[in-house]
Amino acid sequence: MRKRRELKLLSKTTFIYLIFTFLAFVLSGIFLTHEANQFINKDLDQYFARVEHRIKWALEHGRDLDRLPSNIQVIALSQPVVLSAYPQYGDTLTYNPGLDDMQRARKRVIVFREGDRYYRTVMTKPVEDYFRFRDDIFRTVLPAFIMLAVGIVGFNYLLSGYFFRPFNKILDLMKSYKVGQDTEVKTVDTTTREFNKMQDLFHQMIHRIEHDYRHLKEYTENMAHELRTPLAVIRNKTENLISDDTVMTRQSSAVKIIYDEINHLSRLGNTLNLITKIENGEFDNPVWVTTRPVIEKHVEAISELAELKSLSVETDLSEEHRLLIEPYLLDIVLKNLLRNAVSYGTAEGPVRIITGESRLIISNYGPPMGIPGEKLFERFYRNNNSRGSLGLGLSLVKKICDVSRLTIDYRYEDDQHIFRIQPSATS
Amino acid sequence: MKLLIVEDNKRLVQDMERFLKESGYVVETALTFERANDKIYLYQYDLIIIDLGLPDGDGMDLIQTIKDQGHDTGILILTAKDALDDKVLGLDLGADDYMTKPFHNAELNARIRSILRRHKFNRSNTLEIDALKVDLLAAQAFVDEQLLDLTKKEFDLLLYFMQNPNRVLTKESIAEHLWGDHIDQADNFDFIYNHIKNLRKKITDAGGKNYIQAKYGMGYKFSTHE
Repeated sequence: MRKRRELKLLSKTTFIYLIFTFLAFVLSGIFLTHEANQFINKDLDQYFARVEHRIKWALEHGRDLDRLPSNIQVIALSQPVVLSAYPQYGDTLTYNPGLDDMQRARKRVIVFREGDRYYRTVMTKPVEDYFRFRDDIFRTVLPAFIMLAVGIVGFNYLLSGYFFRPFNKILDLMKSYKVGQDTEVKTVDTTTREFNKMQDLFHQMIHRIEHDYRHLKEYTENMAHELRTPLAVIRNKTENLISDDTVMTRQSSAVKIIYDEINHLSRLGNTLNLITKIENGEFDNPVWVTTRPVIEKHVEAISELAELKSLSVETDLSEEHRLLIEPYLLDIVLKNLLRNAVSYGTAEGPVRIITGESRLIISNYGPPMGIPGEKLFERFYRNNNSRGSLGLGLSLVKKICDVSRLTIDYRYEDDQHIFRIQPSATS
Repeated sequence: MKLLIVEDNKRLVQDMERFLKESGYVVETALTFERANDKIYLYQYDLIIIDLGLPDGDGMDLIQTIKDQGHDTGILILTAKDALDDKVLGLDLGADDYMTKPFHNAELNARIRSILRRHKFNRSNTLEIDALKVDLLAAQAFVDEQLLDLTKKEFDLLLYFMQNPNRVLTKESIAEHLWGDHIDQADNFDFIYNHIKNLRKKITDAGGKNYIQAKYGMGYKFSTHE
């Protein structure tokens, strides 16, 4: 589908207004021209009628017709003509010696019969001035319209900035608003009713959102609190059972299952809680972090596990590579990705961490997973044989990347699982 | 050593009380803010464990009260809230350590010991069980005065065992203690086994007994009687 072009509201109204104005100008031009034509014809007809009347009178009374003006010629015809074919009209060009120019003129030819004689009279009347006057209508209407159009467009251009300033300010406030920050949203002072309506609505919405958000947050916090204490009780009781030989000799497998599930549950609770916090934007103080020392710290922490699995960890870290991210979140991202790389890595080749050109790449060797790349970041989507995993690690990483305006992608290439993190393309 | 547990969950309190008494402490408990406040005014404790979320008050206020008393009392915050702000605030007010629920009893014990050691600096910096002796300040361990060549992790592991003798320490608890939350996958517990194997070998090579026994595939127990 073709994308429809977006226009500013003011441009739209101006455009439509100009179309209507243009039509109005053209119609009034046509009307005026028509009126002018009628006036000209009427005037000429009157003139010709007057002249005709006088010639007729002169002929009837046998007066001399020699002293007629040059634009009127009376010729006696030798043969009779059909009278009904006359009068004849027509526009013609006549030479005006005063102006040394050809000028438009109206010509009227009539034939009188006086007794048995026929007189043909040709009358011409210069109409150049009339026509000029008539044509001036359009010649003035069009420039007037163009001036008006330019004026309106320019005016709008200048005024839209002024009139729409409160609107843009309100938009900026909306843009910068973040849930749960407890800051008073400023009111933009404006006398435009629509803007005030919008602003009121915005404030009402914020109020509602804040209210709901607070409740949800309290609920989540309470939930976490209420769950943790019983979990602590269960876990401690189970640990007591584990220390009790009489119980363990008979029920060790049951106790073990209970204990494993408690641990799973408590990790699950912690991680979901963390994801919720990230979604709520509670970690929203990104700073520019030089990644090299941070990555080195994490590599150091994971090296023990890598050693145990006989994996080597290779790094190629740029001094300059930096990310705009909350440091705590970067820790979580690195911890999860490195742990995955080392846990699933095989000894075919090293786990590699490469930074540079604003990219961070973590790769490890291993057989293909049989999970589509995009599913990998979904919650609770996990490999069947990764028993102890929560299935939340990568979705946590994805969530963090999202809130930090970073893009993470995954590909499988040359027997390697490759994760790449880079700043999101700003659209 | 006299401890006070301030915590509103009765079962958890009973459990902690029993556990800590077994570890050789004198333990008192307070289930409410009011009760805790009274006790803090009336008696003197070496260490107080405070739950922040009490039904009738904020545990944070208790920290201030304890500090006002002027005794050298250790404070361990124990909370279900996992908020970074709370942690920072608590430590700023003068708490010594911060633990989130759910916790391992052995970990609680280790933390309590470490706080007490810091507060009662001059009393005991060594821990002795049977032929084993650990010098906490120098971070050295001996079997019959013979110095063991331990890595940092092995030393921490041995200390953790000796702080919780004759108790089964689960793999989860050991992993959390040694690596923080870095290791939380079941298949990574292999290298706890590795560390324990090395530690055992170093102790027996120096003439010590095989103190550390595997228990039901769930954990290990430091025991003086084989």
